[in-house]
Amino acid sequence: MKNVLITGLGVISAAGGNLDETLNSFAYEKRNAGRVSLFETVLNYPVFEVREIPEEITLEGQRTLSLALCAVYEALGEADLDAGLANFRVGVCMGTTVASQLNDLEFYKSYRSDGSAPMTAVDRFLKGNLAQCISRKIGAHGPSLTVVNACSSGTDAIGAALSWLKNGLCDIAIAGGADELSRIPYCGFGSLGIVSPDLCAPFDRDRKGLNLGEGAGVLVMETADSARQREKTSDLYIGGYGSGGDAYHLTSPSPDGTGLKAAIHKALTDSGVAPQQVSFVNAHGTATIENDIVEGKVLKNIFGADLKMLSTKGFTGHALGAAGGMEAVFTAICLRKGWIPASAGFENMDEAISIAPVKSRTAINGSYAVSTSLAFGGNNAALVFKRDEKI
Amino acid sequence: MNILGMGIIFTEGRGIDCFEDSLKSGWRKPSEVSGPPDKKYSVYRVDPETLTDRAILKKMRRSDKLSRMAVLAAADAIESSGIKNINKERIGIIVASAFGAHATTFKFLDDILDFGEANVSPTVFSNSVHNAACSYISSALEIYGPTLTVTQFYFSFQYALQLAQAWINEERCDYVLAGAVDQCGAVLEYVYNRKLIQAHDGRIKPFHFEPTFQVPGEGAAFFLVSKRDSRNVFCAVDTIRFGKDPDGHMPADLNIIDTDGLLPDESVYIPSLFPDIPAAAYSPLFGSMMIGSAFNCAAGALTLKNQTCYANPVAENPRGIHLLNDTGRSNVELIRCIRYNCHCEKAVIYLKKT
Repeated sequence: MKNVLITGLGVISAAGGNLDETLNSFAYEKRNAGRVSLFETVLNYPVFEVREIPEEITLEGQRTLSLALCAVYEALGEADLDAGLANFRVGVCMGTTVASQLNDLEFYKSYRSDGSAPMTAVDRFLKGNLAQCISRKIGAHGPSLTVVNACSSGTDAIGAALSWLKNGLCDIAIAGGADELSRIPYCGFGSLGIVSPDLCAPFDRDRKGLNLGEGAGVLVMETADSARQREKTSDLYIGGYGSGGDAYHLTSPSPDGTGLKAAIHKALTDSGVAPQQVSFVNAHGTATIENDIVEGKVLKNIFGADLKMLSTKGFTGHALGAAGGMEAVFTAICLRKGWIPASAGFENMDEAISIAPVKSRTAINGSYAVSTSLAFGGNNAALVFKRDEKI
Repeated sequence: MNILGMGIIFTEGRGIDCFEDSLKSGWRKPSEVSGPPDKKYSVYRVDPETLTDRAILKKMRRSDKLSRMAVLAAADAIESSGIKNINKERIGIIVASAFGAHATTFKFLDDILDFGEANVSPTVFSNSVHNAACSYISSALEIYGPTLTVTQFYFSFQYALQLAQAWINEERCDYVLAGAVDQCGAVLEYVYNRKLIQAHDGRIKPFHFEPTFQVPGEGAAFFLVSKRDSRNVFCAVDTIRFGKDPDGHMPADLNIIDTDGLLPDESVYIPSLFPDIPAAAYSPLFGSMMIGSAFNCAAGALTLKNQTCYANPVAENPRGIHLLNDTGRSNVELIRCIRYNCHCEKAVIYLKKT
């Protein structure tokens, strides 16, 4: 297998507008949740909104793209690629949910009542394919793909980009996920009864459901040959990716975690890593009853009860298509820094899960970490990250 | 990578035989529907009666039309391969869709407008998620491999097929069900008719190039692809290329182009067509769709398997292009399937006789 380096990381969420701010929130356990401010709503579930997008990046009516660009520019900066990409074969693979849907309520209201509607929202949608827009903005001339795999979209986008790199379809890939807070999932998840009226508490005995969030997380992934030619080094690698389907239900995970087990085993095999070599797992950990039971049991089964694990959704909320990208960034940076934050919101172990996330900032040793994603539709995905301690 | 099986749902019905009959019999007038603002327009819709296979659809009573079309086409792709006892942990699924479950999304917006945010239907919401169709394929066919849904508007299918090839090369899967699905809904039809020129006589004219004329279509086309061979193999997918002009004038026996009126000016295709290579375009059989490439690719695969060329269903030819005008036996080794997007970028799938 070709080694794939991570040469850049970028992230934006309620936990911070960049990596440094995010780590600060993690270290001091800041949970920046509040009421919805982005749209009028009668519902009252707390959310994790991004409070500020830099004005020079903000694109009118394209919040998901704006969030994505924040993360992309930060990642390109770290990768020393901010001067331009014209000389490289760069692919862009991004996961999302909201940005893939023609779902403008005002457009539809007008269409429904008058039989006609202005085309502004449609034009914005048709010009707004996430990966394609990013490719054009940054001048990338490689493959371009938007992954719409519900809550595992970001993780699967990184997996697809890994396949491109391993198959020689590009030399550098910008991959991750982005999603804005939107009325549609806010109402939809509410209707499913899986949104918490309080701050979320992943894996906790008394958890009441998820909080929605928004943001973007992006990796610059690069073949070793490309990095060498650019005289760029990195201590971080993508070890492997795995994905598996539950073939079970549209919204519920398979009770025995069929697809998640397959995804984790495949990612570990891809990486040549044994479970006991894994330092920590950044779990999907949405704080819904079903997700946390299934995921906790699978993680305990594969990695053992002493596994150091956490969910970062207590800091960011569940950012849907962005979640996998953001959590990939968090996993990679924690591996580099040698610590993981408290799994915010967790207090008491749930006997039905019988594995507990860390309750405070925790030092970690070792070279490997795993990030998992579970999604509506029974998609499950896992990524293995590697750190070369010699660099 | 070989195409071992195909499944197709389109306006004329279900199955490869039905699609081949349509290729042989030529253009048929689309149905006419009424829509806002008080106009009649042509559309190639799939008859709901086509989507009533109880054996396959028994677990998806609440699913929408998009998912049903996808599941039936995917099931047929496996069935038509003739391969029994495939290890279903080694099959991946990649679904390409330009617009996804937009009709169900609008139904969900109806819920918000009619009943309020607190009283929307969880079932409608679940089915509006973009990957619902892929999920139903996985559960209805009990496939446990990787499942992915992608959207890239004009090139959704091409990128799905390219990723399928990558998964197979790196042995992530032994087989991939790669396909495309899109649905016509009243809102999308309205958008098409607002933004593009309707074909008032119901004829998409693929070789008119400018101005262009569209008739919205819907359907699903799925392909079971693998490195392996089977007795029913259709053809091989040789290469898939993207770019401003990724292939220049490469030798091929037939060019199949995706002109269907979804670009207001399709003359960008003309430099890809040559006097020595006949050209075909089958969009007048299934309608204008951003994922129409999958149907043209299926026509190419049938051409190679059967060594039979299928005449253009609508052959109006003001530019004097060398068209494929006769249906009949022919020696075809290599077919180039060409699609352009609105940025004048090209995607090319080369299909090769096995």
